[in-house]
Amino acid sequence: PGGGITTVRAEVANYPRQRIGRLSTLRTGEPVAFKYPWDDIQAENILIKLGHEAGGGIGPDDDIVAFNSWCTHQGGPLAGTFRSDPGTAGPCPLHWTTFDLTRHGMVVSGHATQGLPQILLEAEGDDIIATGVMGLIFGYQDNRVDPAGKGA
Amino acid sequence: MTESYVPSDKVLLPPADANVHTTACDYCIVGCGYKVYTWPIGRDGTPTDNALGSDFPGGILRPWVSPNQLNVVKVDGVDHNVAVLPDFDAKVVNTGGNHSIRGGTLALKCHNSEGPTRDRLTSPMVRVNGKLTEVDWDTAIGAMADVSRHVIDRFGESAWAMKTFSYEFFENTYAISKLAFGAVKTPAYSPHDKPGAGADTAGVDDAGLITFNTSYEDWRSAEVLFLSGADPFETKTILFTQWIMAGGAKLIMVLPRRSAGVAYAEARGGLFLQVTPGTDALLHLAISRIIVENGWEDTEFIEKWMASSWEIGAGMGRGTRNTPWQWRTTWGKIGAESFDDYKQWLLDQDESDLSYAAKGTGVPAEKIEQAAEMITGGGGPRPKASFGLEKGNYWSNNYLNTASFSAMGLLAGAGNRPGRFISRMGGHQRGWIGAASYPRDKSPEKLPGRRKVEMDLDRWVEAGKVRFAWVIGTTWTGAMAASQELASRIREMTVGNPNQVQALDRQSIADALIRRVDSGGMVIVDSDIYPVAPVGTEFADIVLPAAAWGEHDAARCNGERRLRLYSKFYDPPGESKPDWWAVARFAREMGYEGFDWETDNDVFEEAARSSRGGVLDYNALVWKARRDGQAGHEALRDLGTTGIQCPIRYEDGELVGTKRLHDSTLELGDPEGPTLHPKWLTNFKSHSGKALFIKSPWALFSDFYERITPDPEKGEYWVTNGRINEVWQSAFDDVRKPYIVQRWPDTFVEIHPDDAAANGIESGDMVRLVNDDVLIQVGGFNRVKAEELSFTWMLENGRIRIGRGEAEAVAIVLDSVRPGLLFTNFLHPGSPANSLVHRVPDPITNRYRFKLGKATITRIGESPYKHAMDKMSFMPRDIV
Repeated sequence: PGGGITTVRAEVANYPRQRIGRLSTLRTGEPVAFKYPWDDIQAENILIKLGHEAGGGIGPDDDIVAFNSWCTHQGGPLAGTFRSDPGTAGPCPLHWTTFDLTRHGMVVSGHATQGLPQILLEAEGDDIIATGVMGLIFGYQDNRVDPAGKGA
Repeated sequence: MTESYVPSDKVLLPPADANVHTTACDYCIVGCGYKVYTWPIGRDGTPTDNALGSDFPGGILRPWVSPNQLNVVKVDGVDHNVAVLPDFDAKVVNTGGNHSIRGGTLALKCHNSEGPTRDRLTSPMVRVNGKLTEVDWDTAIGAMADVSRHVIDRFGESAWAMKTFSYEFFENTYAISKLAFGAVKTPAYSPHDKPGAGADTAGVDDAGLITFNTSYEDWRSAEVLFLSGADPFETKTILFTQWIMAGGAKLIMVLPRRSAGVAYAEARGGLFLQVTPGTDALLHLAISRIIVENGWEDTEFIEKWMASSWEIGAGMGRGTRNTPWQWRTTWGKIGAESFDDYKQWLLDQDESDLSYAAKGTGVPAEKIEQAAEMITGGGGPRPKASFGLEKGNYWSNNYLNTASFSAMGLLAGAGNRPGRFISRMGGHQRGWIGAASYPRDKSPEKLPGRRKVEMDLDRWVEAGKVRFAWVIGTTWTGAMAASQELASRIREMTVGNPNQVQALDRQSIADALIRRVDSGGMVIVDSDIYPVAPVGTEFADIVLPAAAWGEHDAARCNGERRLRLYSKFYDPPGESKPDWWAVARFAREMGYEGFDWETDNDVFEEAARSSRGGVLDYNALVWKARRDGQAGHEALRDLGTTGIQCPIRYEDGELVGTKRLHDSTLELGDPEGPTLHPKWLTNFKSHSGKALFIKSPWALFSDFYERITPDPEKGEYWVTNGRINEVWQSAFDDVRKPYIVQRWPDTFVEIHPDDAAANGIESGDMVRLVNDDVLIQVGGFNRVKAEELSFTWMLENGRIRIGRGEAEAVAIVLDSVRPGLLFTNFLHPGSPANSLVHRVPDPITNRYRFKLGKATITRIGESPYKHAMDKMSFMPRDIV
């Protein structure tokens, strides 16, 4: 047994590219909120530098990740529950679901029928760029349809 | 059939004209209401026009469809999309569409010939030259009947066994019990989770309490909840998240391991009593003693509702032998004659002393005192306290734990008032309707004295007495104690026997199998929905495909006795049939009468007669349906996800559900029509209608407990086990849900950081657990002398042999468990925790001590998940 790192791959075609922060200003354990892929309340996300390696993490330490901030159980607010140690979001204030930010938002404990949607990131120099969403955002039927009706 | 999980970023929505069926979840006891939408491929709803009547995107607590709530199924032979969604309009149970991770992914369990569920059994099969080969139903059933007739004629009914689920819908259990107990009349029967028929929590029953007596409303209206042996957050999710959390009761949780529910309880002023496995009785005795020493008992309740010495020992016209505890053959050790008698006994016990209990249980004395104060008010205002128990409590020290638990709750005044109950919380749903009683008089098993008891089927197999067994919907071996030893014995008697089927016609099959049984071997028929290892894949000579949830109309009750119809919404795969159909087909082949049902509803309506006077009495529903010119199932369908709570009464032309049993606040008029008013609707279930204190002398358990306590010097650990939210039972569905497999590609064992360091173990390492000291009780069915029940006597008289068990798991290093204790999933396929568990049942009740395993632990190497980022999480579950 054993072996190298494996991570989940996702299709990122048709998502907008959007600069959401800078590597140089991000501090470990200090979450930053942003909206992506649309300017919509359900599309609120948290960018966080965990200080330890994470699936899909970027930056020199592969530790910078971003996730949607609405619980995929019944849409409870997770903003304020993101923790770099141990690397979790939750428990959700509604029904107590917890997600693993080091493992692509996988449910640790609780009721969500899908992991927490992960915002796919790339680094361009000092810029952190959001390039796609892995997993359906709570409340959405299709991530790629702009609720404001502008389309992808 | 695991497949990698690819998260989707889009879902299909059911169109406004989708077919809608109501059902309830197939998994835990809570039985949440679900709606199933099916619609032809390509005719999807839109974000603004859909069957949910809700615009997308929505927000918090709005209806939503997650990608794991969709599948493709056949409806009348044509592919349809299906969405299985919590009922967002639910008025009961999961109000507002709340759901667990299990029920929330129900759609993934449906048979889809292009998906991970494509390995469903679709045809009867016979093992020919070692290989399961498809045959028609007539051949399979014909051969079964030929062998069965021979076995019953030559070896007697007790050589013809059934091992079946007890919960998979009334229609199926009714048919099974009609065959086993009504037609064959065999005593060789045991349900999926125990070695023999009978009560699970006899110490609760003996106290006069029916085990499922509450409503979810009571868990919400209680002010203090004492929850023992299960974390309902993990195992009865919606009971916790929709009722307990909403009620805001202070929680006292008794578990060996800190879980998410414990973290929640502590964060809200609750109490965590982290017990050493098997010691709950000591905890209850100490709490009870503190209560009586301080006079904190509910005197008014005791005077009114606890049986007096006249009511127990002398009077009521029928005398002492009609009180259940008298039948336990413990010769005066457990029945208390009154509160004063119980109090005196309690004060006389060394084991009820606080310091003894603190040492034995590992719970600090001050926490035990605090618990006594919380459940009684400590002399101040008395809170509404309720008491819930489950398997960690009663599958470790069955009789003593349940008896002492009941007594503790009764002292606190719980038992018969809203918000103040003593009840099981439950595991699986309640699907048993017995067509006939267990034929106890034919059981080969007898306790000392003259008392026949339900037989221990596993020990009967071990003794080579079973020649034919029909296994329906259970792993059997994996689910029983000393599971690998049991599997070895069955292997030896089936595939290990030289007489094997070599040709595929009825005569050849029957001839070979009759030679098998005559040579001392055993024949197994396995009915299931998937190939189940090893009973179906390796041992069975005949395999029968079963239709499951959603594939036929069926009914059962949840943990508050709420009856619902589980609607058929798609085609069963291939030739698979409901189990009642297979049972009836076999019974007719055997020449038994009364198995002429043609539809699910035929069985449901007939079974209603057998439900009369019982806790799940739904006879009034069928009676009224007939008067209204309606089928029973259709009347139930009309009640949707709300259903109705049993027993169902008929009052003023309407059906009335029963919210709770032993309900001292319930006012009943004269019974009307088919309605029965058993006295336990308003009183306790004892001959006086009052509850009873039952003693629980530690000496009945202590010799066994001392023998099985792990020796740290030998590197031994307690291995206890339980459920987690994400995995249901043997994971038969979950291993076919890629989303769940991503979370749990393998089973786990939690180990304390100190123990991990001592063994060189890190999270993600694969470890082996070995117990080469598995105690197995053998022989001794006809017991004569009282001492034959004692473990010490059995050990000295050759009734205990020593076997072996081992399991592998992925280690997770967490301080949620204490040093010296390991925690693992209770029934993961391929790595059964039960292999590490002794097969010496509680002598009073014949119940296994599943939670009291032990093992040494050795690191094998790194698991594939140690460095993977896409599978398995090692995070703690008790984050606040």
